[in-house]
Amino acid sequence: MTPGNRPYFEDIELGSEIGPRELVATDENVATFCRLWGNPMPNRFTDPAIAEKSGLPGPIVPGVMSMAIMSQALTDWAGPESLKDLDLVFRQPVPHNQPLLISATVTDTRQDDGENLVECDVLMTGTAGERYVGGTALIALPSKGG
Amino acid sequence: MTMELEYNRELYGVEHPAGPFEITGELIQTFNRSIGETNPVFTDGAAARAAGYADVLAPPTFCTLLVRNVELPDIDLKFGRTRFHAGQRVQARAPIVAGDRLTASSHLKEVYPKTGRSGTMVFEVWETTFRNQDGAVVADVQESYAARE
Repeated sequence: MTPGNRPYFEDIELGSEIGPRELVATDENVATFCRLWGNPMPNRFTDPAIAEKSGLPGPIVPGVMSMAIMSQALTDWAGPESLKDLDLVFRQPVPHNQPLLISATVTDTRQDDGENLVECDVLMTGTAGERYVGGTALIALPSKGG
Repeated sequence: MTMELEYNRELYGVEHPAGPFEITGELIQTFNRSIGETNPVFTDGAAARAAGYADVLAPPTFCTLLVRNVELPDIDLKFGRTRFHAGQRVQARAPIVAGDRLTASSHLKEVYPKTGRSGTMVFEVWETTFRNQDGAVVADVQESYAARE
């Protein structure tokens, strides 16, 4: 591990598992996000009645915010400027106030144009195995050789 | 079987500009607060400067917030009754720090049908390129919307 407890490229193997890291999006988190995003409230992300009218079980976490949460889990692991590409599919509505488990599995490692790259399948799941968000990430890591 | 999609193909090759967006430290801090981000390079100017940045670094998906401000035209797709945000991709090209001034340019990338277990859906993909005040590309964002019968 590097001095900041971040992984080196050489520490990573095909099939290496990252996480799961547990994060929660509270009602307050989502309201803060919607204000910043400029989405007029109340809306289906903040209001139970509006969410139900849209056929949702309750207020949901916006996809843009789910992406930010997954990015956070990955940069916590690999460093603030490590994430080069995050490509996600929003599969199911993501609930507020519930544990969201973010995990990744390494599918490829390669050196390309002076960068040490790790490709992963990434997932955001619920505690009962719900697959909320899936996709791929490309992460650059430092090398022990400098 | 190929499906003949009906929509406004004249939108291909047309760029839709937006901005400028002033990326203030306050915007980055609010973004951090909304997701519970605590990495000092994103939250603390002194730590960011010690790491070699001019000011706090924006987390890598920050630009996705700004896509909402790009006025994307209706492609007039003759398919489906409901439409939802199906996916999103961010390619981070260069650091974005507090004090940067970004501009955006969006275009229709592709429209395609996909048939799966739940029937046929039509995906509409927009691509937005963000540049900073020096003209450097800092991020490419793809937004994918799906129309369903």
